[in-house]
Amino acid sequence: MDKQPVDVETAGQNVAGEEPAAEPEAVTDDTTVHDDDVELERTIGLVGGLAIGIGTMIGAGIFVFPGLAASNAGLAATVSFGIGGLIALLVALPTSELATAMPRSGGGYYFISRGMGTAYGAIVGLGLWLGLMFASAFYLVGLGHYASAVFAELGVGLPFSPVIGIGLLFGAALTALSIGGTENTAKLQNIVVGILLVVLTGFLSYGVLDAFGVFGRASAPEHFFSRGYFPVLTTAALVFTSYLGFAQVATVAGEIKRPGRNLPLAMVGSVLVVTVFYVVTIFVATSAFGADRLGQFGETAMVEVAREFLGLPGAVAILGAGLLATFSSANASILSASRAVYALSRDALLPRKASEVNLRYGTPHVALLAAGGPILALVATGQVELLAEVASFLHLIMYGLMCVALIVLRRRNPEWYSPSYRVPGYPVLPGVGALASFGLIAFMQPASIAIGIVVMAVTYLWYRYYAGDVKLKGDI
Amino acid sequence: MTDRPSILVPIRVLEGESVPEGVPGLLANAHVVLLGYHVVPEQTAPGQAQMQFEERATARLDEYEAIFEEAGAIVERRLVFTHDGQKTIDRTIHEHDCMAVLVPNATGAVDDVFVAVRGTVGIDRLARVVAGVFGAMDTSITLYHVVETEETDEDIETLLDGVADRLGELGVDESKIETRVERDLRPLEAIVDASEAFDAVVMGETDPSLVTYVFGMPADQVADRFLGPVLVVQHELANERDE
Repeated sequence: MDKQPVDVETAGQNVAGEEPAAEPEAVTDDTTVHDDDVELERTIGLVGGLAIGIGTMIGAGIFVFPGLAASNAGLAATVSFGIGGLIALLVALPTSELATAMPRSGGGYYFISRGMGTAYGAIVGLGLWLGLMFASAFYLVGLGHYASAVFAELGVGLPFSPVIGIGLLFGAALTALSIGGTENTAKLQNIVVGILLVVLTGFLSYGVLDAFGVFGRASAPEHFFSRGYFPVLTTAALVFTSYLGFAQVATVAGEIKRPGRNLPLAMVGSVLVVTVFYVVTIFVATSAFGADRLGQFGETAMVEVAREFLGLPGAVAILGAGLLATFSSANASILSASRAVYALSRDALLPRKASEVNLRYGTPHVALLAAGGPILALVATGQVELLAEVASFLHLIMYGLMCVALIVLRRRNPEWYSPSYRVPGYPVLPGVGALASFGLIAFMQPASIAIGIVVMAVTYLWYRYYAGDVKLKGDI
Repeated sequence: MTDRPSILVPIRVLEGESVPEGVPGLLANAHVVLLGYHVVPEQTAPGQAQMQFEERATARLDEYEAIFEEAGAIVERRLVFTHDGQKTIDRTIHEHDCMAVLVPNATGAVDDVFVAVRGTVGIDRLARVVAGVFGAMDTSITLYHVVETEETDEDIETLLDGVADRLGELGVDESKIETRVERDLRPLEAIVDASEAFDAVVMGETDPSLVTYVFGMPADQVADRFLGPVLVVQHELANERDE
C-alpha cells in the first residue's frame, strides 16, 4: 500500500451547527494525510495490535467464565467457546477487509457509517460506545471477584462482600489514571499480556497432561453434553463477551502501522490465539472437577482449579494473573470507548466538546469521563451475566452489520473501495458471519435482549434529534 | 554554489519550541524541511489533537516558514500529530532524504564551525552538508579528530586531507579550513570541550550501541551540553524497515 486515496464525502450539520470534520486525503503505511502537509503518525505495530486484541479478550473469558459456563453447559462448554471463537473469526475476516480499505479511527462504526449511511452508523457507533461501557463494567466486576478472592486467600474475613466496592474503586482509578496521562499504557499492556500468556501456558500444559492421566490421576470422564444441546448455544451467547477484543483493534485502526498487513494479522491472530486458550482452559477446568463442582465455585473457579493442580502457589499465581487480566481488559475497553467518542464527535454525532483534549495532560478528559462515569453506575449493579450479555448484544449487532456493509460495498464496488486484503469465500463467508452474529442474539436471556433493544432505540432517537442532517455515507 | 543539502528542522510546535534566533541565517543556503510535530499520549487519538490544535500549529508554522524563506532558504513543511516523536523524525528524514538534522539552539553570526570527523564512513555526506550550509558564508571550518588507538599518523592525515579536498571540490575556500587532532581523550568529552569555543557543531550520527542505549546518542549528549546549534549528519539510507 503506497498512498491510498480516501474519497468519502461527508456533509450536513448537527443541531449545534457542527459539521463532520474533513476526511483525510489519503492513507499511507505510516500516516493518515490531511491537506497535503498535515499528517497523523501511525505508531502501533503488529505486536501492539495483538496485545490490544489478546489483552482485551483473555481477561474476561478465561478468568470469569469457566465456572458460570460449566454450570450452564457442562463439559460441552468447550463447544460453546469454540462456537464463540468461530463466530468471532467469521466476523474478524470481513472486519479485516473493511479495515484495510478504511484504516481510520472508530473501527466498526466508521465502516458501517461510510458503507451503509448515518443512521446505521449512529446506532452502531453509540451502541459500540455503550457496549464498551457494559463490557468494561463486566470486567471490573470480574476484577472485584478476583480481588475479593485475594482477601479470602489472605484469611481476611470481611463482614460484607467487597466485590462491587473494589470494582468501583478500580473503575475510578483506571479513569483517573488515563486522564492523568500515564505515559506508557501501551507498553504496560504488552508486558501484562506477555506475562499472562506465559502463566497460562504453563498452567494449561500441566492441566492437559493431568487430565489425560499423565500424573496418575485420570479424571472422571463425564458425559459430554450433560446438560443437553440447547444450553451449549445459550452459553455461547453468554461467553461471547470474551471475544469482543478483536473489534477493539479496529477502533485504533487509524494508528496501526502498515494497516494493510497488520490489521488483519492482529485481528485474526488474536482471535485464533484466545480461542485456543479458552477451549483448553475450559477443558482443563471441567476435567479437574466436573461441571457441577466447578459451577459452584462461580467467578473465581479458576483459582480452585489451580489449587487442585498446584496447591497454594498455583492458586496465588492464578489470582495474580486474574487480577492482571481483568485489569488489562477493563483498561483497554475504557480507552477504546474514548476512541469511539472521538470518532462520533469527529462526525458531529456527539458534541465536538466531547473529544476535547486536556491542555495539561494532553488526554481526552471529557471522553474518558463520559466512559468512566456510566461504567461505575453499571458496576454498581454487580450483574455479571447481564452486563456481559448486553455488551455482547450491542457488539453482535455491529458485527452483523459489518458483514452486511462488506456485502453492500462489494456489490456496489465504489471507486474508493480498494481493500488490500480480501475476504475469501465471498459472499458466503460474510453472509454466514452476519447470520451467525444476529442468530446468537436469539439465545440470550430476554432481559439482555430487552435492554439491548432499548439502547438501540435510544441511540436512533438521539441521531434523529441531534444529527438527522449529517451525511456520512461514502459515494457508492 | 553546490546543491542545497536538505536539513531537517524538527520543532515541537505546540510546546513553546520555536525557531531560535540566528537559525534561519544559519540555514540560508539549505533546503529546509520544517517539521512541526506534537506528541500526544497513548490514550489520545492523534486525530483528536489535530481537530483541536491544527489551526494554532499551522499558524505558527506559517510564521516560521516565512522567517526561513526571508533568510533565503527553500522550505518544505510538515505538521504531524504523533504518539512517538522519534518515529516521526526518523520517518521524515527517510521520506525527504534529509542529509542532516538540526538540533536548534540560538546562535549569533556564525564565524567558525566545528566539524567532528570520526572515520571514513559517511565522509562524503559530511562534506556535502558542510559545503552546502557554510560554503558560501565567510566561515572558518575546523576539522576535528580524536585519535583512536590503532590509527597511525598517516591514516589521520589521509582522512582529514581527504575531507579538506572534498570540501575544496565542493567550492569551499580551502584557506578557511583548519585541522585539529587530539589524542588520549574520550571522543565524546573531547568534542564537547573543544566545541565550546565555536559557533556551531557538525557531527555524524552514531550507530546505536548498548552504551548509547543507556546514555543516549552521542549527538544528543553533545546537543544537550553545547549551547549552539548542532547539525547531525545522517547515514545513507539503508532502506529496510521494521515491522
